[in-house]
Amino acid sequence: MAKAKILLVDDEVEFASTLAERLNIRGYETSTVYTADAVLERIAGNVPDIVILDLKMPGASGVDILKDIKKFNQSIEVILLTGHGSDQCNSECQSGGAFDYIMKPVEIEGLTVKIDMALKKKKG
Amino acid sequence: MINWAKRKLAFLSKILPLSGPDEKSESALSQDRYKSLRIRLFFLIAALAGVPLVVIIIIGSVWLQGALREDFNNQLKGNIESTRQSIDFFIEERISALRFLASSNSFGQLSDGKYLNDIFINFKREFGELVDLGLIDSKGVQVTYSGPYDLRGKNYSNQDWFNAVAVRGVYVSDVFMGYRKFPHFVIAVKKELPEKGTFCILRATIDMATLNRYISTVNLKSKDDAFIVNRVGILQTQSRYHGNVLDTVNLEVPRPKEAVTLSEVRQGGTTFIFGYATIKNSDWTMGVMVAPTAQTSLVNLLASDIAAIYLVLLLISLGIFANIRITVKVVNWIREAELEREEAIVQTHHTGRLASIGRLAAGVAHEINNPLAIINEKAGLMKDLMQMTDAPIDRDKFIGLIKAISDSVHRCRTITHRLLGFARRMDIQHEEIDLNDTIKEVIEFLDKEVLYRNIGLVTRLKEDLPRIVSDKGQLQQVFLNIINNAIDAVKDGGKIVVSSEVKNRNMVRISVQDNGQGIPKDAVKSIFEPFYTTKGKGKGTGLGLSISYGIVQRLGGDISIESEEGSGSTFSIDLPIRAAGQ
Repeated sequence: MAKAKILLVDDEVEFASTLAERLNIRGYETSTVYTADAVLERIAGNVPDIVILDLKMPGASGVDILKDIKKFNQSIEVILLTGHGSDQCNSECQSGGAFDYIMKPVEIEGLTVKIDMALKKKKG
Repeated sequence: MINWAKRKLAFLSKILPLSGPDEKSESALSQDRYKSLRIRLFFLIAALAGVPLVVIIIIGSVWLQGALREDFNNQLKGNIESTRQSIDFFIEERISALRFLASSNSFGQLSDGKYLNDIFINFKREFGELVDLGLIDSKGVQVTYSGPYDLRGKNYSNQDWFNAVAVRGVYVSDVFMGYRKFPHFVIAVKKELPEKGTFCILRATIDMATLNRYISTVNLKSKDDAFIVNRVGILQTQSRYHGNVLDTVNLEVPRPKEAVTLSEVRQGGTTFIFGYATIKNSDWTMGVMVAPTAQTSLVNLLASDIAAIYLVLLLISLGIFANIRITVKVVNWIREAELEREEAIVQTHHTGRLASIGRLAAGVAHEINNPLAIINEKAGLMKDLMQMTDAPIDRDKFIGLIKAISDSVHRCRTITHRLLGFARRMDIQHEEIDLNDTIKEVIEFLDKEVLYRNIGLVTRLKEDLPRIVSDKGQLQQVFLNIINNAIDAVKDGGKIVVSSEVKNRNMVRISVQDNGQGIPKDAVKSIFEPFYTTKGKGKGTGLGLSISYGIVQRLGGDISIESEEGSGSTFSIDLPIRAAGQ
C-alpha cells in the first residue's frame, strides 16, 4: 500500500523538519516547505494527499495559502497549525475549506488521528 | 461613575479654577490648594450674596428715606396745619365775640365807661389774652377805654387800621408798638349806627406773647424755628434765625391760599424743610423751618436703635457662618469629586493597560508557542528514535536534538524576560532612559506581527539623542499603543516609520508615521477622548490614545496628530529631557 504523502508548510525550519521526521517514522511520506511562495510550486510538482499548514506565515496569511491550495486542487486536505485556538480560527478554517486545525505544540498522536481521518475522507 | 465625576467637575470648573487634566494626582492637590480654594470660594459667595444685598440695602435705604421723608413732611404739615387752625380759631373766636358785643350793645351802653369795663372784665375772664378794650367813634376818637393804659380820647383817625376797619368792617392788625410801647396787635369790628347815619368801632388789644405761645405748640427740635411774618416780611413773633419781633426777615415768604406748602431752604449751611401756612382774617403767614437730616437719615435711625444694630450684627454673623459652612461643603464636594475622578482615571488607566497587555500577551503566546513546539518535536523525536526504531542510538544526532531544545529554551527565556521588563514597570518611577533603546524594545514585541503582515517598519533614530529622565514603563505603554495603532491602520505590506529627534534644547520628539487610511478631519479632534475609536466594533477599546495622552501630559510632554484621510497619520510625542517637576 502506497504511503500517504504529506506536505508540511511552516517558516519554523526546526519545527517543520523534526515533525516531518517523526511522521516519517510513523509511515508517512513527508516533505517540507518553509516559505509561502514555494507552496504552490511544490504542490504542482508533487501533489500531496494532505498539507499541514501554519496559519501565520511571514508575508502571507495561512488562510490565503489554504484558498490557493484548494483552488489548485480541491481534493487536497489541509490541516491548519495555529498558535492559539479561537472561534475566529475555527471559522476561518471552515470558510477556507480546511479539514481541521491543530494547536501548537503538537501532540503527535492527535495529529496522526486527524491525518488518518483526513485520508479516510479523501478516499471517500 | 466616571461620567458622573466628569460632569460634576466640568460644572465646577466653569465657576472655579480647578486643576487641569495634567494635575491629577491627589498629592498635587495639597492642603494649601484647598485652603486657597476655600478662601476664594468664601469671597466668591460673599460677593455673589453681598452685592445683591448691598444693592437691596441701597435701594431699600433710598426707598425708606423717601418714605421717612414723606412721613416726616406729612407730620410737619399736620403740625403746621394744627397750629394754624388754632391761631385761626383764636382770632375768629375773638372776632365773633367782639361782633356779638357790638351787635348786642348799643352805642350808648358801650360809651359808658363803667359798662365797657364790666364787658372787658367778662370778656377777659371768658377768653383771656386781652390787654384792653376800647370804643372809637366814626371820627377816630376813642370814646371809652378799659384797660391798664390811659388812652381815652386818643385819636386814631389817621391810622391805617382805622380806615381799614371802616371799609372792611373787621380788621386784625399786624403787631406794632403804638401808644402801649410793647408789641401787640388789635382786633377791631365796625358797628353801624344807622339811626345816626354813622358808625363806631369796638377794638380789642392782644399781647404778641399770645402768638408766641401758639407758635410754641409746633414740635420743634433745638435747631428748628417757627415764626409768623406779615405780608411785607416783618416778623410778628420772635425767630431763632431771622431776628426779633418787628425785624424784617431776609426770606421770601409766599402766601399759600389753602394747604400748607413745603419747600427746601438753605440756611447757614444746613438744608431745612420750610413749611408755610396762611392765617385767615390777617395778613400773616406762619413759617416753620425744620432740619430734616436729623430725623430722616437711615444711619441715624439705625444708630438710634441699639436693637437694630444687634439685629444687623446677628444677620452678618449668620451670613458669615452660612458662607463658611457652604464653602467647606463645596470644597469637600470638589475634593470628593476629584478623588472619584482620580479613582476613575486609575481604573481607566488599568483597563487600558490590561487591553494593551492582552494584545501583547496574544502576540507573546504565539511567539512562545513556536520554540515550545520545537522543544516538543525534538523531545518527541528522541523518544520516537528510542521507542519506535531498532537503529542504534546516534549520539551526535541526539546531541544536536538536545542543543536545539536548549536553543529553544533560550528563545523562550528571551521572550519571557522581555515581557517581565514590561510587567515590573507598573508603578511610576523616574529614571534616566535611552529613548532609542525603549523604542527598539517595544518594536521587538511587534516584530512577528510586522513580519507576518509584511509591514515595512523602519526606524530613523537619532544616534546622539539625549537621554531623558522619565518613566520608562509608562513610555513603553505609550509607544506600544501608538505603534500598534499604526499597525492596525496600515494594510498588509504598508509602511511605518518610527523616528526620534531633538526638538529643541528642552524637548525631544518621537514620531510614528504610517501610510494607512488616515483619520477623518472631524474625528481628529476626538481622537484622544476616552472610549473614542475609529476601529471596527470589538477591535479597539478606545482607551489606548486617551491613556497615552494622559501619560504624556503627566510626564510634562505633549502628543499631537497630523492626519490626512487616505494618506496616513503621524503621531508626534514631545517629551521633556528633564522630568516634569524636576
